[in-house]
Amino acid sequence: MRYWMSSYGLLLGWAGLRGRATLALNLVIQTCLAVGIIVGFAFLVPNLDAGTALYLSTGAPVLGLVTVGMVIGPQEVASAKQEGIFEFNRSLPVPRSALIASDATIALLTALPGMLAALVVAWLRFDLDLQISPLVVPAILLTAAAAIGIGYGIGYGLTPPIARMMSQLVVFVALMFSPIVFPVSRLPDWLAAVHAVLPFQYMAESVRNTLSVPPDGVRLMPFAVLAVWSLVGFLVAFRMMSRRT
Amino acid sequence: MLYIKDIVKTYKRGGGVRANDGVTIQVEAGEVVGLLGHNGAGKTTLINQVAGLTVPTSGTIRVDGCDPVAEPSKVRRMIAVMPQSHAPLTGVTPRQVIKSMARIRGMDKQAASARTEELIKDLDLGEWADTTGERLSGGVRRLTAFGMAAASPGKVVMLDEPTNDVDPARRRLLWEQIRALANRGCAVLLVTHNVIEAERSVDRIVVLDSGKVMAEGTAAQLRSRAAGDLRLELTAADIDGLPSLPEHIATAGAPLRTSRRLTVALESSGAADALAWAQRLRESQDIDEFSLVPVGLEDVYLDLVGAESTAAEEEG
Repeated sequence: MRYWMSSYGLLLGWAGLRGRATLALNLVIQTCLAVGIIVGFAFLVPNLDAGTALYLSTGAPVLGLVTVGMVIGPQEVASAKQEGIFEFNRSLPVPRSALIASDATIALLTALPGMLAALVVAWLRFDLDLQISPLVVPAILLTAAAAIGIGYGIGYGLTPPIARMMSQLVVFVALMFSPIVFPVSRLPDWLAAVHAVLPFQYMAESVRNTLSVPPDGVRLMPFAVLAVWSLVGFLVAFRMMSRRT
Repeated sequence: MLYIKDIVKTYKRGGGVRANDGVTIQVEAGEVVGLLGHNGAGKTTLINQVAGLTVPTSGTIRVDGCDPVAEPSKVRRMIAVMPQSHAPLTGVTPRQVIKSMARIRGMDKQAASARTEELIKDLDLGEWADTTGERLSGGVRRLTAFGMAAASPGKVVMLDEPTNDVDPARRRLLWEQIRALANRGCAVLLVTHNVIEAERSVDRIVVLDSGKVMAEGTAAQLRSRAAGDLRLELTAADIDGLPSLPEHIATAGAPLRTSRRLTVALESSGAADALAWAQRLRESQDIDEFSLVPVGLEDVYLDLVGAESTAAEEEG
């Protein structure tokens, strides 16, 4: 365990050095996306009521996390594989789980400022009256962890061209067909059933309900679903990282 | 230190190709062994098996007595690999990565800093030590990748084409550092295409072709396999129009014709006659130039792996 921790610490420093470039990129992407959703979607919906405003405001930062975790993430892993960096990392004298954990930690840290920027954009536009629960911290962390974990799962588990295609599909589904910026009740039954399994609505619900706590309180089920999705994603990544051909 | 015995590696994908076919190599501590062969000869596959990234189909590998199949994570801590591909340098500087690798490979802060400065100085990287990777030339990136492996090299160092893209001056510095690794007690296994460099700089050479070891030994031992002692090389615009070689010249095998060059293997006793003949051809302007050179490893190498495949590779 001490060896794992010291490896993790050193790899964290190494991933942090490389992650500085990503930090600025993520911040720009997430902020732009938030502006696009909060300002742009408002054109689609002429008479914004408070409910719609809440969905847009809390959905925008979630979509930002989905984008950096599940779209940019797999693309970065695909490039790393093609450039031979994946093999290089595999030859390092460190536990593979520490390698993934350090990369994920840095990805998480570089995604958070953009998430906050998205919330600021929402607050400036809608002047929301938020009822914030302390559970917002695990909600944001689990949403980010699930996005990053699934992103790694896609990136490591699939060949680079397929991973890139999947990441495009994810952004398409998440942006247009997922109950993130609108309620699930608007979806046809079959699509709602699909989303009962996919992580998107749980990401949205956990963030929305902890930023603006509904009268009947915060449901914990979404947290559990997100934890399972993160775990599955990271396990796939770990499996591929340790696999020997 | 590094012991590879009868390694066979068959890939199911690609129709059961034998990437390694009964390879046996031994590298002692303090020794630099050059693994020579063209693309697809099975060099990188071999390195990946020693590093525990790929499992051999059959055969035995031991790194200081440890089996990379049974204890891959233990072996990873004993070896350092410089991959053929570029190291991850985007957004980071040579100084930062070399130091990070030294730390990840187990050095404390002070030792890592000291070793980093030493490598930057010895590889003459000072000018670029604080420039981020995306702005570095291919040669500097490669030297940095070497630095990352050499920072805290462990017991076995494997370098996959370390001198590619490196300028001639720094190439010499790089070879000095490779030798320095051996002098520290590392076993160094080095993959290269460059026969002439290998001839000058490594202790022993293993020639690999289609997954098999074709020859093994010191440069002198391998050279002794060649026919004759000398090579007469003639360059001419019309090589086929040259008069044939006078019969009294003691040759060692049939002349080899390539596009603008005729190469004749000679015994030492034929040198004077051959020179006189070549001089006459130049005076009559049948040839542009000629040279008489001792047999090099390249001649042996081409004999072993076939000139055709090497020429094809140079074009490709």
